[in-house]
Amino acid sequence: MNWLAGAWAVFRKDLRIELRTRYALNSLLLFVLGALLLVLFAVGPRPLSARVQSALLWIVMLFAASIGLGRSFVAEQERGTVLLLQLHTRPSMVFAGKWLFNLVLVGLLTIVAAGPFLFLLDISIRAPGLLASVLALGAVGLASATTLLAALVARAARQGPLLPVLLLPLLVPLLVSGTSATRKAIAGLPWVQAQDELLTLVGFAGATLSASIVLFDFVWTD
Amino acid sequence: MSTSSSPVVPPRVYRLVQGAVFLVLTGVIVAGFLGSIPQLDILEQSARNLYFHVPMWFTLMGATILSAYHSVRYLQTGDRLRDIRAREAAWLALIFGLLGIVTGMVWARFTWYVGTGKWWNFDPKQSMAAVLLLIYGAYFVLRDSIEDRDTRGRIAAVYNLFAVVTMPFLLYIIPRQLPSLHPGGEGSPAFSQTDLAPAMRWVFYPSVLGFLGLFWLLYTQRVRLAWLRDQLRDEPDL
Amino acid sequence: MTVHPLHTDDAPSPPQERPDTASAYDSTWTEQPNTQPPDDLEQVMLADGKIYVVLAVVLIIWAGLIALMVRTDRRIDRLERRIDDTGSEDTRQ
Repeated sequence: MNWLAGAWAVFRKDLRIELRTRYALNSLLLFVLGALLLVLFAVGPRPLSARVQSALLWIVMLFAASIGLGRSFVAEQERGTVLLLQLHTRPSMVFAGKWLFNLVLVGLLTIVAAGPFLFLLDISIRAPGLLASVLALGAVGLASATTLLAALVARAARQGPLLPVLLLPLLVPLLVSGTSATRKAIAGLPWVQAQDELLTLVGFAGATLSASIVLFDFVWTD
Repeated sequence: MSTSSSPVVPPRVYRLVQGAVFLVLTGVIVAGFLGSIPQLDILEQSARNLYFHVPMWFTLMGATILSAYHSVRYLQTGDRLRDIRAREAAWLALIFGLLGIVTGMVWARFTWYVGTGKWWNFDPKQSMAAVLLLIYGAYFVLRDSIEDRDTRGRIAAVYNLFAVVTMPFLLYIIPRQLPSLHPGGEGSPAFSQTDLAPAMRWVFYPSVLGFLGLFWLLYTQRVRLAWLRDQLRDEPDL
Repeated sequence: MTVHPLHTDDAPSPPQERPDTASAYDSTWTEQPNTQPPDDLEQVMLADGKIYVVLAVVLIIWAGLIALMVRTDRRIDRLERRIDDTGSEDTRQ
């Protein structure tokens, strides 16, 4: 089995199991919508500054990801399918497949979070291209960091709120540059102005992804 | 996976470092209070804090790098002593980071924020350092959540290294992009040539070395102790 | 980054961002006059060219190191007690 086919098979397997119940997907989407509505009630009808708007959007997204994305490896552990995967695939295939699956989830999450958020808060985006690329880069970084940590958490005996505890401090760079770039996109600044933030997001995604690929072997194999 | 390596350092080396650290730090405290410093407006005499506050961060960095190094070695060899070393270095990083934050708060309260009654404001370096401490807190929470010792060592080492990968963003890239009152806020993460008066270097550099030496003493002590405890637990009689 | 020129005719636009300079974070960062009179703590700390700030910092480090020492000491205690326990068990056997 070549590498791409293996990774794709892991992704397909996860996707099919997910589509059977849609548990992760539905809970994630409802969590995001619920959090957004709570935010709306909490801030009231007054218009917010772009700084607060972007901060709220990213906080909702990060918390949703840290709660919703931990399932994938825990589910393998619960169903007892870890050994099967270990026998049939190489660790990097498992990581690639899970990463792709998480990326799809984060992508949906981002769309579901950002769309209603902009609509409900009545925000007019003056640089939609910038906003889209910021959110896409953020999603890649988020998926990379979360996939490895979810694998870590699945090995822990006492889980509880472990994933958010591990994940949130590591995501601070993503949050800082993400909110800053989103604010600039809402204000309609040209791309050049958000250069630093975009580079930081690219760097963060690249660093977490490559570190995850190197480190995943040690988590996955005993 | 136990090995024959022992954490005991040669007693002569240990005592030598002990004496040197004692002499250097005593000298630093004396010279720090009595030496001459340039007179600056807001800082006034509190510029002497440079000798005590900043070495905390150097020590934190040293401890972080040491901890990451031993995590790498643990993943390579599976030697339990490496795990103990990584853990104790991370623990001391937490202690020195905490000291750095508290001393920084006190210093800032009576220089930058004087007249406002504030202890904490969003200075990027301060906040990022707090995040760093949160990461090490999470490291220990993770350790406590795993029962099996070899799994715990491996998982903790992976988290440690993953965190180290994100630390450059936390400590160097993001603080450069935000305005800060710390020296070197615009463009450089640390001191530039002009930030440190020549007269102060003669106390500052020994102070950094002295605190690093102190860290090493505490670190070896704790490693030896933890190793001993580990050995005792291994004995079937217990 | 004040009002965008293209949208000046919009309905009340949300309050615009302040520029991203040090002043955006806090007025205390720039040369604002001190609004509060110095309280008791400040009167002590600001005396003699703020030398007491240095003293406070040194004392904090000192206290932290002592606390660390006490903790290590307690760990040694526990270890010693355990070794004693096994020693007495050995003699019993």
